Amino acid sequence: MIMDRKRVTIVFILMLVCLVLLVWINAVTGSVSIPPGDVISVVLGRSSDEMWTNIIMNIRLPRMIAAIVLGGCLALSGYLLQTFFDNPIVGPFVLGISSGAKLTVALTLIFLLSKGHNIGSFGMIVSAFAGAMMAMGFVLLISSKTRSMSLLVICGIMIGYICSAITDFVVTFADDSNIVNLHNWSMGSLNGINMTQVTIMSVLALVCLACAVCMSKPISAYRLGQAYAASMGVNIRLLKVMLIVISSLLAASVTAFAGPISFVGIAVPHLVGNTVRTSSPAVMIPSCFLGGAVVTLMCDCISRSIFAPTEVSISSVTAVLLVPVVIRMMLGRRKNAD
Amino acid sequence: MRTDMQQDRILHTDDLTIGYDSDLISGIGLDVMPGRIVTLIGPNGSGKSTLLKTLTGQLEAHGGCVYLDGRDMSGMNALDKAQNMSILMTSSVRPRMMTCREVVAMGRYPYTGRFGKLKESDEKAVDHALDLTGSREVADRFFDRISDGQRQRVMLARAICQQPRVLILDEPTSYLDIRYRLDILNTIRTIANRDNVAVVMSLHELEPAMRISDTVIAVGEGRILRTGTPQEVFEESFIRRLYGIEDRDISLLGPGPWMEKAADIEAGIETGNVTDGPDTHRTGAKAIMIQGTMSGAGKSMIAAGLCRIFTQDGYSVAPFKSQNMALNSYVTGEGLEMGRAQVMQARCCKREPLVCMNPVLLKPTDDQGSQVIVNGIPLGNMRAAEYFRYKQQLIPEIMAAYEKLSGMADIIVIEGAGSPAEINLKKNDIVNMGLARMTDAPVLLVGDIDRGGVFAQLIGTLDLLEPDERARVKGLIVNKFRGDIGLFEDGVRILEEKGHKPVTGVVPYLDIRLEDEDSLSDRFSVRGKKAFDICVIRFPRISNFTDMDVFGQAPDISVRYVDEPDGVGDPDVIILPGTKNTGGDLEWMRQQGLDDAVISYARAGGVVIGICGGYQMLGMRISDPEGVESGVTSPGLGLLPVETVMAREKTRTLYTGHIPAWKGVLEDMSGMQVTGYEIHNGITTPAGTDPNYTDAEACVYAPDGTGCSSGNVYGTYIHGIFDEEGVAPRLVSLIAAHKGKDIDVSLMRGHFDESEAMYDKLAAHLRECLDMDAIYEMMGIVRS
Repeated sequence: MIMDRKRVTIVFILMLVCLVLLVWINAVTGSVSIPPGDVISVVLGRSSDEMWTNIIMNIRLPRMIAAIVLGGCLALSGYLLQTFFDNPIVGPFVLGISSGAKLTVALTLIFLLSKGHNIGSFGMIVSAFAGAMMAMGFVLLISSKTRSMSLLVICGIMIGYICSAITDFVVTFADDSNIVNLHNWSMGSLNGINMTQVTIMSVLALVCLACAVCMSKPISAYRLGQAYAASMGVNIRLLKVMLIVISSLLAASVTAFAGPISFVGIAVPHLVGNTVRTSSPAVMIPSCFLGGAVVTLMCDCISRSIFAPTEVSISSVTAVLLVPVVIRMMLGRRKNAD
Repeated sequence: MRTDMQQDRILHTDDLTIGYDSDLISGIGLDVMPGRIVTLIGPNGSGKSTLLKTLTGQLEAHGGCVYLDGRDMSGMNALDKAQNMSILMTSSVRPRMMTCREVVAMGRYPYTGRFGKLKESDEKAVDHALDLTGSREVADRFFDRISDGQRQRVMLARAICQQPRVLILDEPTSYLDIRYRLDILNTIRTIANRDNVAVVMSLHELEPAMRISDTVIAVGEGRILRTGTPQEVFEESFIRRLYGIEDRDISLLGPGPWMEKAADIEAGIETGNVTDGPDTHRTGAKAIMIQGTMSGAGKSMIAAGLCRIFTQDGYSVAPFKSQNMALNSYVTGEGLEMGRAQVMQARCCKREPLVCMNPVLLKPTDDQGSQVIVNGIPLGNMRAAEYFRYKQQLIPEIMAAYEKLSGMADIIVIEGAGSPAEINLKKNDIVNMGLARMTDAPVLLVGDIDRGGVFAQLIGTLDLLEPDERARVKGLIVNKFRGDIGLFEDGVRILEEKGHKPVTGVVPYLDIRLEDEDSLSDRFSVRGKKAFDICVIRFPRISNFTDMDVFGQAPDISVRYVDEPDGVGDPDVIILPGTKNTGGDLEWMRQQGLDDAVISYARAGGVVIGICGGYQMLGMRISDPEGVESGVTSPGLGLLPVETVMAREKTRTLYTGHIPAWKGVLEDMSGMQVTGYEIHNGITTPAGTDPNYTDAEACVYAPDGTGCSSGNVYGTYIHGIFDEEGVAPRLVSLIAAHKGKDIDVSLMRGHFDESEAMYDKLAAHLRECLDMDAIYEMMGIVRS
């Protein structure tokens, strides 16, 4: 692999520094301000203040880890989808995958809650994954009929609308309490995530990340397009299935835990790619994950502090911050392409 | 024949049916041998790409099978297949943020481990592929930021880097300019010839298809219409039918296989190979190479003499020199430029000069740069350093030219250039030992005793050679010996002792005037005037000075090359010869004050003749709107009422015609037949009535636009105008008569007449002093 190793190293170090900084800010700030010194003693288990321990260990820490892990998942999912479709403006949200997941989660939530059952994280993930795969199936069906990427994106958005419409339809007939739950969830929020959920999502994310790293060689060849990749000995069918399954699983787990978080999946791979100046998957996979973590953690920090104590939906923050990036990227790409 | 070959075939198909939704072509039987180039031709949409995609497995066969190395390809493991076959498709891929080196390195995919880490051997393969395709300089640039041509070269490098045994290319040269087209085709030929890779490709350009292919497959009308050697397939009526242009006006296409005549030329050359069987054409001819210890050691002359000797002995002979550095070039019948030395040697072989006898010609434009002419067509100007890097890409061209010759001749006499021991420049040598190695030719090393130090020359050169190169030298020749050869017997013994090489001959000095190969010529040092004095302006960028050689034959005529006004004196005629840079040399004349000298000489009634660039200078002005030379318009000497517009388009034609109705002293020459050639940029046309120009009455334009004269000032574009029998003597006599002199012109004869006798004389001379039996033995020829 030929790349500017120094540049890559510097970018990694910078991202890690940002991550540490953001973790620090997140730990210290909030509706209750905790002095830095006390944060350290809480983390070291030496604090006697139960409330602060509770706030940090049970609220802020899980939330931070969730932001890091889910952000990484989103960006990685976006990167894999962009590789698969050879198109930089696709992402789980654009292709309707997140909306599909949202629909099935809504259906399951309302259906099971109305029967008096509680739905665990595992159930959420399974239903979100099912929805994600369903939406992805539609997209794939369309992509086999057309080579036009813009049409594909439009279809993804349409699928998103249909899913939202059905979700709204279901919501209309649901109980009020369910609606509140569902609404909060569908706005996208990292609020109220507990340590158990964090463990589940971390394991899932690590497995997906490991799979992605193992696929970096065929992905690398896939950059030259399907025909060339096949001629070099890439098992295209297996690669495609793996790409779809892993990216859907990643998107689904995010949606299940935090609701649809938009634009991280599109914008982060682009931002990261332009910074490391290589598309080599061996670099892009870890750096997308890290970059997604940094961006999401930052957005979460903003979402809960900008109008504190009221929380803004994280999707609003990501949209406001990242949409300009996406637009700029599309314009820049058009200039290069012509 | 066929059964033998079947064992070797690397790719074949058995009753293959191809198509997308419905069957397109069925019953395809294809056999591809290693090292062979198979080209598909046919109109758009005839199924060439479909066939190629089926061969690569991108499309499933509708029937029948594709076999790779004898195995059914559909059942092969993807990696296994990738190690045997690589592809270059038309689809343009533009991965972002991927360097060209990464793209090429992807070719290592089937060889690397789980995470695609490149080993040292992989890196070497990448470097090799980059070098072979000339992509080294773009290696670290992003693939989506380079030109289409560069991208195509990189994609070819990627395919090569995969080290396949079969390479499949779909229209590899489409949309590329001729330079990249040349690069791509050369690379393809190199890997086929050298690495024994089987190549299957489709081409839209028919001339390259005709030249590069071993087998051509014509696809059209839903089937394979014809399969065979290029000359079997490229038949005018068939090609026209294939592309559906039977009744069309094809004049816009120019010459090509759609014209019977063009195909004949090719077929004539190629037949030699084919009838011998396909595997002999690379070792067809025997070769001998003449190298010298320095420029001007007499290589050209020895080579010419050997050419004539072998020809006299009944062999079919051809001369070859990979690269000439010369200002004088010759234009072949096809309108291609080549060095004059090989033209002369071709005549010694009694055959028409062909550009493949001298595939690379460098014409120096100034101290640091040269115009690079490959296969007779100028590629452009290059600095020395630039050329030094570029030249290894010419190896395939050189080898192709050589192979073409070896198909036509029994013996090829190869001439080296300069000295083989220029050890600082030896890397990528393509003219001396490098060429000897490529052609596996025994070498005769020629030393020049006349200039002194012949022992140091020969022994020193041998010492500086690498052992394998030294082993190639089979004999030494001492050239230009003056005096009693008997006195040099000791010298021969010492040379053989110290050099451990036999002395094949000591050649006495022969006062013979053959075409000079380059500007390193002692003619410029002539100073003394004789009874009839010709003054030639010695431009810094003088070219084609052999125009004046004919005058040098007569004892009473001096031809002086003058570069300052004082040197002009009072000659009988002033000649402004050709130049590589009209504007620049005109400026030089002004700086030297030579312009006034010429103008006042002409005003006083003296005879001034301008040839080519010299003719352009004689006019009113020279404009250069396209910036071919300097881009500025400069006034000429104002002796002829013409103006010249420089143009990028270069005129290169042979000329046969007559001297127009000249007036003045040379009036009696009007109507004489001349043959020569034109090589020039720019067009010269009558300038409107110019108030400064008074003597319009006396002015005559050549009707074909090749010249103009006025009074005693004559301008012409025809090089070699003096060479036709009788022209030079008539010119000298007329001027001499005008001046009241009596000059003996009986020794002056036209070039071509003189040559035949001279070549025989040279051959006889060499036979006497060279050990011809030893030379035949070196070449591996047994004389009965």
